[in-house]
Amino acid sequence: MTSSIDLIETAIRDRRRFLIASALGVGYAVMPGGLLQNAFAATDYSLASSIRSLSNAFHATWNQGAEAYTKTVDRPYVALITEGNSEKGIADIGALLAKTGGKLVLGVDPNDSPDARPIVESVAKAGGYVVTVWNKPADLHPWDFGEHYVAHLSFNGVPAGEQTAKALFDSFGGAGGIVALGGIPSNAPAIQRKAGLMNAISATNGKVQLLDFQDADWDSTKANNIVGAWVTRFGDKIKGIWAANDGMAIGALEALRAEGLAGKVQVTGIDGTKDAVTAVKNKEMAATVDWNPRWIGGMALSLGYHAATGKFTPSKEPKSHREFYGTGVLITQRDVQEFWKNNIDKTPAIDWNDLWGKISGPIA
Amino acid sequence: MLVSKTWLTRATPTLVLVGLSLLISLVDPRFLSLDNLVRIAAAASAPLVLALGVTFIILMGSIDLSIEGSMAFTASVLAALVTNSSGKGLELGLLAVPLALVAAGAFGAVVGLVHVYLRVPSFMASLGMGFVGIGVATVLLGGERVSILDQNIRALSLHRVLGVPLAIYIAMLMLAVAWAIQNHMSLGRHVMALGGGEDLAAVSGVRVKRVRVLAFTLSGVFFGVGAVLACARLGAGSALIGNGQLFTAISAVVVGGTSLSGGKGGVFSTVIGVLIVMVLNNGMIILGLPTFIQQGVLGAAIIAAVLLNAPVRSFVVVK
Repeated sequence: MTSSIDLIETAIRDRRRFLIASALGVGYAVMPGGLLQNAFAATDYSLASSIRSLSNAFHATWNQGAEAYTKTVDRPYVALITEGNSEKGIADIGALLAKTGGKLVLGVDPNDSPDARPIVESVAKAGGYVVTVWNKPADLHPWDFGEHYVAHLSFNGVPAGEQTAKALFDSFGGAGGIVALGGIPSNAPAIQRKAGLMNAISATNGKVQLLDFQDADWDSTKANNIVGAWVTRFGDKIKGIWAANDGMAIGALEALRAEGLAGKVQVTGIDGTKDAVTAVKNKEMAATVDWNPRWIGGMALSLGYHAATGKFTPSKEPKSHREFYGTGVLITQRDVQEFWKNNIDKTPAIDWNDLWGKISGPIA
Repeated sequence: MLVSKTWLTRATPTLVLVGLSLLISLVDPRFLSLDNLVRIAAAASAPLVLALGVTFIILMGSIDLSIEGSMAFTASVLAALVTNSSGKGLELGLLAVPLALVAAGAFGAVVGLVHVYLRVPSFMASLGMGFVGIGVATVLLGGERVSILDQNIRALSLHRVLGVPLAIYIAMLMLAVAWAIQNHMSLGRHVMALGGGEDLAAVSGVRVKRVRVLAFTLSGVFFGVGAVLACARLGAGSALIGNGQLFTAISAVVVGGTSLSGGKGGVFSTVIGVLIVMVLNNGMIILGLPTFIQQGVLGAAIIAAVLLNAPVRSFVVVK
């Protein structure tokens, strides 16, 4: 005869089994590859951008461009933020690929060059389409990956560094000492822009001397403190300050302002952010270079989406259409008014279907 | 003998500071010029106020990792309340400063409440709230670096009285406030008591929860002042304004001699610590050291500081 205790234990065991079985069943159903996959998986492509942070003007404008593009094709869009953490960037992309069942068009600015390979491999394996911008290893090429790694676009930092340096030298008559602030030393843009600066200096045949070069890691506050120390060390031997990006240029400018030197010693940056262009307008900065991040954000997605929807076949395109440099616009005190009128007072219209119109050359 | 050993341990940070300064000035005498000393002091103003805030938390035996988020939050509130480059600022002028400090204090209070009433360790509570702060700041500022155009705010950093920027006077004022709280107010005594032995303090009648929340609110206000000074110096409110400040503040507190387990140290140790860190930074540029060596020197300095600060190392419990 079964006792009441046996009955209770049987009930508990059965209930446990029931609960565990239901959990397994539900889990299987919603898992990718499970029963409900066809119901929840995207029937068409989703778009996403993977960028470092929305707290810097460059990526914030990138995101606006990407959103503007996705509105024209009426697809869902999400911005993945890495916050400077490579692992998070790769993991977020993996999660989104799982969620969309591989139907993803991704425009990515890899946090650092080595990240590009795992990102491209995971997107290609899942059947999505990816466009990388700025950072990738030199031995990784879109044409080695078939259709899914659509393109890599970058901007040649060498002419940018060179042209801003020349504008800086012109501001003090071409003879004297300068100091320079570099970005994170392992970043490709930092290396390229520094090379451009060095080219410009050697072209002056000794008339311009580089008094010191310090890495301020793209950071405004670091640049501010470094310039303060430089003023002690070099005093009025500094005729100009070259910075590898606008964030550091503004930090340097504020340090000069604290010494009463703003406008007397010119600064140059690169990136074309609004406060840098304002400083050029106020004659406190000599030059900056605009990459048009709005165009980058939207075009990365446009290239991927055109490939995904079959409008062109990546493997049939020449190599120069799969790895190329875009065009940067130099802004000096001479042309800043024009630039302001066309790009800041109004949002410029961009033709998203003109995929390769702004190529300035293949990546060597 | 025991007395002089203790004195030596307590005086070590000051001796290190003096020694470093003399060493650097031997190589380049311009380091000790009045201009450069003013520059170092001006650069140290915001980090000093931040470090003073975090000192109270560390004295209590907890840690506050929300500096960067708190600064970002306060910076965005400040930028929103004054004339700025987005054109949508409220143009409140200097009145914006006390309002921003209230916001900063509220932020600190939330960290404290999460820590005390939700029983989240201070490490996690402050880290999480720090990220929340950066998120809120990003939303408020729309990803932009919003330039502050109000000259009254900029004057806090740019205007000089007797050749010394206002920021240094403000930092001195905050130091006096911190000293007064630590030595002459019950809050300071209770914070020390909690750090020295929380169980003992609790049974002695110290209202632990209340002290903890008040301490976090207080440090929030200090972080707010630091954020205002940083915004005035850089001329902008940005969600990234706190970048790197957490490391500087905590290493300054440790280098100055305050123990991370609480109960030992004080605000003057923090001042010495901040000065050591800023002198190192400034001195290395003046000496022309390459960037990659500077990081290593800073790290080695922190380890050396801990080694020099522990009086009898064999009795210390190292976790």
